[in-house]
Amino acid sequence: MTTTIRVLIADDQVMVRQGFSVLLNAEPDIEVVGQAVDGADAVDKVAELSPDVVLMDIRMPGVGGIEATRRLTEPGGATVKVLVLTTFDLDEYVYEALRAGASGFLLKDASADELAQAVRVVAAGDALLAPNITKRLIGEFSRVTAGRRAPHKERVGNLTERETEVLTLIAQGLSNAEIAERLVVAEQTVKTHVSRILFKLELRDRTQAAVFAYETGLVRPSAF
Amino acid sequence: MTASKAPGRLRAGLRAVPRILREDLCTLARDPLPRMRWLAWTPHVLVVLCAVLMGQLNAIELDGPRVERLPGPDPMLFVLLQSVAVLLALTRPIAAWWLSTAVLFLAAVFSENPAHWPWNDGQMALHTLLLFLLALRVRPRIVIEALVLTLLTGGLNVLLGLRRHTEDHLAYHTAVLNTGALWFVIAVVVGAALRGRRVARTRLVEQEELTAEERARRTLLEERNRIARELHDVVAHHMSVISIQAQVAPHLVENPSEELKENLAGIRHNAVEALAELRRVLGVLRSEDALADGARHAPQPTLDRLDELVGSVRGTGIEVLIEVTGERRPLPPGVELSAFRIVQEALSNVMRHAPGAGARVELGYQRRGLTVRIINTPPDRPAPPSPGAGHGLLGMRERAAMLGGELTTGPRPDGGYEVTAVLPAHDPAPPAAATQTAAAETAEDPV
Repeated sequence: MTTTIRVLIADDQVMVRQGFSVLLNAEPDIEVVGQAVDGADAVDKVAELSPDVVLMDIRMPGVGGIEATRRLTEPGGATVKVLVLTTFDLDEYVYEALRAGASGFLLKDASADELAQAVRVVAAGDALLAPNITKRLIGEFSRVTAGRRAPHKERVGNLTERETEVLTLIAQGLSNAEIAERLVVAEQTVKTHVSRILFKLELRDRTQAAVFAYETGLVRPSAF
Repeated sequence: MTASKAPGRLRAGLRAVPRILREDLCTLARDPLPRMRWLAWTPHVLVVLCAVLMGQLNAIELDGPRVERLPGPDPMLFVLLQSVAVLLALTRPIAAWWLSTAVLFLAAVFSENPAHWPWNDGQMALHTLLLFLLALRVRPRIVIEALVLTLLTGGLNVLLGLRRHTEDHLAYHTAVLNTGALWFVIAVVVGAALRGRRVARTRLVEQEELTAEERARRTLLEERNRIARELHDVVAHHMSVISIQAQVAPHLVENPSEELKENLAGIRHNAVEALAELRRVLGVLRSEDALADGARHAPQPTLDRLDELVGSVRGTGIEVLIEVTGERRPLPPGVELSAFRIVQEALSNVMRHAPGAGARVELGYQRRGLTVRIINTPPDRPAPPSPGAGHGLLGMRERAAMLGGELTTGPRPDGGYEVTAVLPAHDPAPPAAATQTAAAETAEDPV
């Protein structure tokens, strides 16, 4: 790691903020640059501190985590990645957060290693966080909201055949390295494909791309 | 009072008669007979009257001057029994039918009135009435059986009568049977139709009662489910903080000993396991209307958010005052949550059932717990009917009971309404203080 990852923690419980700060600051490549007590505060602090990653609690009084995520990831907004924290469930709220623009999610009782790893993966952006669970979550809840993105469907048509193939593999939870191996190309080529896909579909990152692929029906949830 | 004026008044009175009559009697205005309690017995009275009157007709035809008497029992016995059968039908229709049919048969065997044989008009009228009373009460199949047996008995009479009657009589007797059959069938059809309607209506009422009961039970379960969900939710939040703290603790001391690390790892392990179980329980408790609850974006409320709640109620145009007595202090989350929900539910009841009323929320902090009282002034207009009535009170009662507290509700002398909940609570002061110090310590950590 050449640079440290700058992290902002948004949670209404002081113990959680303090705890995560201690755990993350113990990692050499991660630095907690600030804390926010609710969603609105998080939006302000991001503008002020421009961190790389925000750890965002979904449930906060006032402006909740989902709304804050939506504001932070608006097109033309900051380039910050949002890692959503949930106390207990991978439910429709987590999915809602992913749709709103979050790059990944984590249970609050994750171990210190998992926490640090999640921050790194989300910051790097070349793989889905917890691909299997994410895939399952998206697969399960995209059915509920399928069709809402119907107008965006035509944008799939802008993709080349290769790009569509790469998008499908992203949605299946493969990392850039794995995709490169599967397609027998250089990882750099895959990276280029991914950036083009995100640009053409006007998406933030591969998590959004996975959600998009499921909701447009490009990928169907398999039996699990 | 003078005599000379009397004739004038009389004339004037007479002149007024046509007008008064016109006013009083020339009208088609609707004025139905009101339902009176004693009218409920009208059908029974009518049946008794019929039994007596038709019995007299029966007596004339069975024992009248034109009747040729045969050796055997006194015909008056049959007359009497036939009427008794009809009276019996008021309580025991099937037994009454047996009696009436038997009397019809025996009377035909022992009497001779060629003009009205085997059944006379009085007998037919009484038996028709009896079949009608039967059809009103028993299943159509039974009535049809009774009808067929009655007709077969009559047929048997005619066949037996062939011994003493000439062939000429046969046609006449068959005609009597036919007339009787027509009467009986009409009585049975009308009676069965009326019974069908009554049965259907009774079933409907029963069904409605069952549904209401079912709904009440389901409401109670839903309410308990919601309470359980919220409480587990609170517990899960605490558990996750424990799991984080257990991980953080070793970082807070220099060179933590192995025992300490092991102990903390144990705490974390247990917290994570408990969380896994809680997730399972919450998965079971998760209601279909979880989305409708809408609160899952926000943490479970405590009394800190009372101002927010009251603010939103004021936004709907209701005047709400908050009054706090005693020293305000943090209470266990379960108590805070229940108190908040009780206030919320009570205020929403005020909105629903007491339009235009003002409300006052009183929080009384005592050493042993919290008293929550929500009072509203009388509404300034009648409330629109609302289907969810009663649901709120049930939930409040459950919440109070869960904490070992009490909920009393009822109207106030001034026409308003009052909800009072007494919620016992032990003081959770030490943990709150501990949180503060822990926070202060970690805050000193270089960030």
